[in-house]
Amino acid sequence: MWDKIIGWFEVRIGIGELVKEGLDSCRAPKNVSIFQTIGCAALAAFVIQVFTGFCLLLYYAPNTEQAFTSVQSIMQDIPYGWLFRTMHVVGGALLLVTMTMHMLSVFVMGSYKNPREMTWIAGGLLFFTTVFFAFSGNLLPWSQLNYWQTTIATAIPSSFPYAGEFITEVLRSGGQMSALTLNRFFALHVSFLPFVFFLLLVFHLFLVRRIGISSPPFGTEPENTSPRTAYRKETYPDGHPVYPYFMVRAAFMVMVYLSVLFLLITFLPGLFLPEGSVIQANPLKTPAQVRPEWYLLAPYQMLKLIPNKFFTLSVQVIMGVLFIFWPFFDARKEGNILKRPLLFGLSLSVITLWLVLTIWGRY
Amino acid sequence: MRYVLSLLVIAVMVAVQTSPAAAMAGYRETFQKEFLSEPWAGDREESDACIECHASDIIKSEFRAIPTEWKQSWHYQNDVSCHSCHGGDPKDAATSMDPHRFFAGTPKPAQVPEFCGKCHIGILKNYQESGHGMALKSSGKGPNCVTCHGSHNIQQASIDIINEKLCTKCHSYERSKVMRQALFLTEKKIEELNNRLKQLKTEGMAADEEEKSLFGTYGEFRALFHTEDVSLVKKRTDEFTAKLDIIEKRIQDLFDELRFRRNVSAFLALIFMGMGAVILLIAKTKKT
Amino acid sequence: MRRRFLKIMLAVLGFTAFGSLLYPLARFLSATRGEPKGKQLAFKKTEIPIGAARDIVFNGTPAIIINRPDGGFVALSRVCTHLGCLVDYDKSKKRLLCPCHAGVYDLDGAVISGLPTRPLREISLKIKGDDVVIG
Repeated sequence: MWDKIIGWFEVRIGIGELVKEGLDSCRAPKNVSIFQTIGCAALAAFVIQVFTGFCLLLYYAPNTEQAFTSVQSIMQDIPYGWLFRTMHVVGGALLLVTMTMHMLSVFVMGSYKNPREMTWIAGGLLFFTTVFFAFSGNLLPWSQLNYWQTTIATAIPSSFPYAGEFITEVLRSGGQMSALTLNRFFALHVSFLPFVFFLLLVFHLFLVRRIGISSPPFGTEPENTSPRTAYRKETYPDGHPVYPYFMVRAAFMVMVYLSVLFLLITFLPGLFLPEGSVIQANPLKTPAQVRPEWYLLAPYQMLKLIPNKFFTLSVQVIMGVLFIFWPFFDARKEGNILKRPLLFGLSLSVITLWLVLTIWGRY
Repeated sequence: MRYVLSLLVIAVMVAVQTSPAAAMAGYRETFQKEFLSEPWAGDREESDACIECHASDIIKSEFRAIPTEWKQSWHYQNDVSCHSCHGGDPKDAATSMDPHRFFAGTPKPAQVPEFCGKCHIGILKNYQESGHGMALKSSGKGPNCVTCHGSHNIQQASIDIINEKLCTKCHSYERSKVMRQALFLTEKKIEELNNRLKQLKTEGMAADEEEKSLFGTYGEFRALFHTEDVSLVKKRTDEFTAKLDIIEKRIQDLFDELRFRRNVSAFLALIFMGMGAVILLIAKTKKT
Repeated sequence: MRRRFLKIMLAVLGFTAFGSLLYPLARFLSATRGEPKGKQLAFKKTEIPIGAARDIVFNGTPAIIINRPDGGFVALSRVCTHLGCLVDYDKSKKRLLCPCHAGVYDLDGAVISGLPTRPLREISLKIKGDDVVIG
């Protein structure tokens, strides 16, 4: 019976054939690494964000009068509202972490090199979009914590000469935080950013599929890394089929992600929802210690430590540009980072510096 | 090679830009000021006329400690500023201490109860009926609010205010002790409930309603204490215990809810960890 | 054999996970947010003369019914919106006063002065013939 139904559709659509064709043409290199599946976990994390975000949207009221109470009612009154809200809040933070780990693995394997520069750039832009997602979503609960974190963060660009004040005013919709700021952030978070993210994601995945999964430089038979002059898809005739070999490992990575998500919710429920998040925003009362959100702590601490703010911001912008266009700054053929002590040391010190600044900024 | 070049670019930027960055000292303060004192950071009354004068050396040294003391107080934490009690206009230095602006200055000891009672109405009423209040009214000598609570560095009251050192200033501790014993259990319960509410908050659980009904109850209980009437306190203790029991039950419900949530997410975590393990085993198993 | 067993395991776990997310979702989607319905209270109009008031407890909330000289009957929660003390009716000054920090409300429940920022919660009240019905 079941086979008959499937067969009826197969004759008319040919989905099975399409899938078979797609999977057969897609093969992973023989030495494919488990770290190459982190990207799949990030994709799953994003899908969870879309799903839980939609759930929250059903009960959230985007105005300063009701924003806080509606979020509190999701947490307290609506059955299992707390589950979807904490999943969204903790998942948002974990998405940023997962994307960072994905990029680190791509960086260490040198997978951003010719012919995958554009994949890296699209990925970098996806990362910045996610930061904006987190930044805009953070204001929406309109709690004392969120309000003042956003106040601080939106004040940062104002130290740029000429354009700075303008950027702050655009972010806040005027010189001060107001009801319009909430509208603006809400619109960004639920309508503009998802659209941008989706386009970038489609492009990113299209490129991955088109060029083929990269081969890490550590195995016995590294991929031919000489720069391409003509388009060629990596077929890896002696490699593993993507299904089931790669997909099973990807599914494992997604399970790791979900486990970490729910373990965090179980054991550290207050980590991303500290005390200030259950107090309604009061624009007339600054809490004792105001800091931006955790992912902005490192740049914020840098601003605090270096006396010239314009200089610090310029460095940060340059570093951002450098990060997005990294494949063009690093055009060497050698893909194994262990054979390049200078690059290895440099990237390690940047990561350490970032961590130190974040922890320093936290306390 | 190219990333070395790009580093060079940064180095040049550093060389060009660091010249105006001479003054490192006090930078932290300027930073805080610039980022927090802008209009969007809210008008805190910290920079008002009262504090400007009272912090500078044009004023008598005994008055100079007042802003610092106030900043450590419970009033400060709850946005009660100089003019809330003393009147006057903190926005304008010239008329800040003008009686026409309702500046009240320092109250004389006998006026202190009315001074504080502007806000603490219920407590004033009960105090005036008490031995303390009547002594102050009839002889002008008697404990007023400040005697026990202090003035600018006022803290949230607790049962520890009834102690030997304070009470024996005027009379034997025996009488105070009887009162302290009458209050003790209810006060301890209030303190315990307060702590549990705080714990709920740190776990991301808002208990606004419970917090308010607890405050309402202990506000009433503490006003009652100010009558200094032990038999009245004892008589009404049961009534307060019943009210506190209701609040305790609601707090307990919230803790139970928290435990339920923890169990749900722990269960989900376990399921996903199990699925991860099974998938790993499948990956390791060869097709037969 | 082992592979088959593992696949069945995975299916069982997968359905459990799916189900234990589907159930919360169904509950979440079907939630209704309305005022909880409580018992109604009724009084005779004559029990509260003009200017007088009566303290009641409605749905666990201490409340007050006031027969306003210039506005008829009103039922307001007595819970001060500042910190939750119970406000008292001041007949001569036609206002409600909080004994804890001197918050003052008018007889519509709106804040006149003091620390509260929100008005007192109004409780629905209907006049049915000679009766005042609350709830």
